[in-house]
Amino acid sequence: MQSTINVAVMVKLEPDLSEGNVSYNPDGTLNRSQTRSILGPHSAIATRASFYSKVLYDANIKVCTMGPPMADIALRQALEICNADELHLYSDRAFAGADTLATAETIKAGIRKMGSIDLVIGGHRAVDGETGQTGPQVAWKLGFNFLGNVIDYSIDSANRIIHAERLIEIQGLYNILEEVECPLPALITIDPSYRERYNTVSQRLKYIKLQKEAMKKAENYKQYLKVWSAKELGVDTRSVGLPGSPTIVYKVEKVPRAKASRQTRIIDVSKDSELKELGMRLLEILNSK
Amino acid sequence: MEKYDVAIIGGGSAGLAALMELSKLGLQAVVLEGAKPVGSKSVTGGILYSKNYRNAKVYNVEEVYKNFLDDAPVERRITGYYLNAVSENKVYTVDLTDAHNYQTNFAYSVLMVRMNKWFAAQAEEEAQKNGGGIVSGVHVSDIVWENSKTIVQTDELEPIQVNAVVAADGVNSEAALMTGARKKFDVEALYQGVKSVIRLPEDIIDERYGLKEGEGVAHLFAGDISRGHNGGGFIYTNKETLSVGLVYHLDSLIKSPIEPYTLLDSFLTIPQVSNYIKDEVPFVKEFDRDLPKEEQLRMKFGISKLLKSWEELRYTYYSKTARRKAIESRLYKSEEELRHRLDETRKELEEKFRVSFVTNYVELEYSAKLVPDGKRALMDKPYKNNVLFVGDAAGRGVFVGTRIEGINIGIDDAARAARAIARAKEHNDYSEEYMGRYYGELINESPYTDDIRKIDFEYLKIFVNACKEIPTESLNLFLRLGFMLLQKATVQDFARAITKMLDQRTLLALIETNEAYVKIPMEVAEKIGRTVNPDYKIKPPSIDERIAKIRINDDPEPHIKILDPNSRFIKSMVQLCPTKCYIMEILDKERFKSEVVLQHEGCIECGTCSKETDWKHPKGEKGVTYEYG
Repeated sequence: MQSTINVAVMVKLEPDLSEGNVSYNPDGTLNRSQTRSILGPHSAIATRASFYSKVLYDANIKVCTMGPPMADIALRQALEICNADELHLYSDRAFAGADTLATAETIKAGIRKMGSIDLVIGGHRAVDGETGQTGPQVAWKLGFNFLGNVIDYSIDSANRIIHAERLIEIQGLYNILEEVECPLPALITIDPSYRERYNTVSQRLKYIKLQKEAMKKAENYKQYLKVWSAKELGVDTRSVGLPGSPTIVYKVEKVPRAKASRQTRIIDVSKDSELKELGMRLLEILNSK
Repeated sequence: MEKYDVAIIGGGSAGLAALMELSKLGLQAVVLEGAKPVGSKSVTGGILYSKNYRNAKVYNVEEVYKNFLDDAPVERRITGYYLNAVSENKVYTVDLTDAHNYQTNFAYSVLMVRMNKWFAAQAEEEAQKNGGGIVSGVHVSDIVWENSKTIVQTDELEPIQVNAVVAADGVNSEAALMTGARKKFDVEALYQGVKSVIRLPEDIIDERYGLKEGEGVAHLFAGDISRGHNGGGFIYTNKETLSVGLVYHLDSLIKSPIEPYTLLDSFLTIPQVSNYIKDEVPFVKEFDRDLPKEEQLRMKFGISKLLKSWEELRYTYYSKTARRKAIESRLYKSEEELRHRLDETRKELEEKFRVSFVTNYVELEYSAKLVPDGKRALMDKPYKNNVLFVGDAAGRGVFVGTRIEGINIGIDDAARAARAIARAKEHNDYSEEYMGRYYGELINESPYTDDIRKIDFEYLKIFVNACKEIPTESLNLFLRLGFMLLQKATVQDFARAITKMLDQRTLLALIETNEAYVKIPMEVAEKIGRTVNPDYKIKPPSIDERIAKIRINDDPEPHIKILDPNSRFIKSMVQLCPTKCYIMEILDKERFKSEVVLQHEGCIECGTCSKETDWKHPKGEKGVTYEYG
């Protein structure tokens, strides 16, 4: 009999940056109290990717997040997407002010508490941080293999191997598809272009059935929710939150809008003189840098 | 390869009924449906009947779906049925309610997409018990038989092996062509229907049509509405909408092509119809362009917000249920308060934003569909190998004069197909000789098959009785004779005997004439009709505006290929396509050479052009999906 795959999903409550929902402070920083928070879009993609495991491999899914008590909204939304079996919220004042490394420390402790985990799935990055570091750092702290930019994956549970396709950029060449395999346990982060493929009738039927079940479960999501404090996780409070963060955001600047004064000129490449002129201009620009 | 007992192609009302019945019989069945969500490509006129045949079994909707009468999102129970003979602004109305009630348990007006959604939820729940269900957004590309195995192939999924197939893929059934069970229908066997769903508040419908809560009415129209074509119009009342449209013999249209939307527009604007559909519509004046842009934007937002409130308030106020709920939930203290809020919002719109309120109508959805005329389209052998055809795919529908039924027949067919398959499973014989033939027998036992093939004397008698005020001198010799025979009690036995001898095809030559559809109703209206005068004019949207409203997921690969750009048939499509997909391209002005080309695919998959095009449903979820249907 196939052994159950245990999947952990890391998600994040993020400001809803869709049009009309964002509010800024006069200094240009985000006014979080006036901006609605939702399950981050990259977290949602990661959650979708975990649902793939549920449909194909009957995976047991535990979704976790670190944040204030209200962050359970993100967990509820994740449950609706992936029909999670458990929701874990790491919530404690000791976690406040954490950078990516301190967050990774909390998440690591949380995932260890989950018991045996075969696969951890995370988003590409968070829209309010954009660093994309938490995933790799959690993998490093857990000692799991790490695969980023995953656009498709399959699991050989008997041999404990994950096969993944990654969409990457190598030496300036974009959209290279790399196929990789690595032993479990592993942590993967999902590329925004991820598209799950349910290729058989039974997968589609199961998808619909589990999705309906998820909507029902979400109505009563607190039944699946477990809130963990720093003490319960057994973390050293010096390595989480602000004390555990070696980096600090000291300034936020508005990105200036591009000037609309750009001038364009159409080059007729059939004319040598114009081509030559283009070449000279390019050289001039390159030399000036 | 995955195995299932049955694959059902098509997730309309017939396909979903097949899923429900097969599942109830313990089979593992799966619906493969192109639309996403399931059933959203369906369109109906339409009325869903439950019939009551004394001497024959019929599988009605309430038997297939046990909670139908309690839970189904039907629109209104049709309690009045009228035929309107029209000539210019004169109309003579015949009350056909008795004919409508003949052998009828109940009849509800329905909007097919909403109805299908409910059917799908019920059928899916039942199917899951056996590991079956519904897969939407999937296009079946082929059915192949290999080493006594039946394999269903799709564009999107891995093939599946099945024991039997139910083809419920509608009038333009691809399954019929794949299996060679039948050719595409001839134009003589088809009607083209075109419809507009019009919004009107519930209480206004009740008042205008003289209805009690939940009651509905059907109006049919004949005569001067068709520019001489053979066909008629209809208005069916839904809960908060009206289904208004026309159905024409396609051959009559091919003979003298005319744009379906032009016919619809002129139908909507005759006083006998516009009186029934008119509403109060806000008219927003153009902004003063000299105003600063920010001010224009501010006004635009202000108006749209207020208009939204006005609409919400109006529909709450004019709907018994919504009004009750709003007061019960303490959103408003009383009806008066709601009315006051409605008036205030309107006043603000008029005074602050100079919005005026005019008489027009609100068209929510435009649609078109081909309908198989059962009398000519009926498949004598609705099966091929282990594929059973149901509903429109089998060319089944009762269209006898003013008797118009389709959905109930598809549901009945589906229940019979399910029984044939269940029996085949029991005997492990899915062959054409065993399962197919048995299905054929069950279909022949269906009272609908008799209704399609033969003339029902009793129905005819009721119809003629309803028309007794009509002066018979307007009728041609045969019709006059028929009317007289049917009306005179002393010779009714003789008339019954003659009727028994006649089949539909013989009668068709007598009744389905231009005289019956156009001339006689016009003469009747002129002689004994009443005058209807409008004091306003409604303005239908253009075809471009209509297409823009329809949800069409463009397919980058064209799915319509013209087989002969010079044929008379395809040349008529330049005018007959309901969404103006074709144009005539002049190749050589001097030699008057031209050919038809596809100018776009606003295609709403009605299939009008199907006969001479290589026309396939777009892959998977691409294509049109209706909101009302």
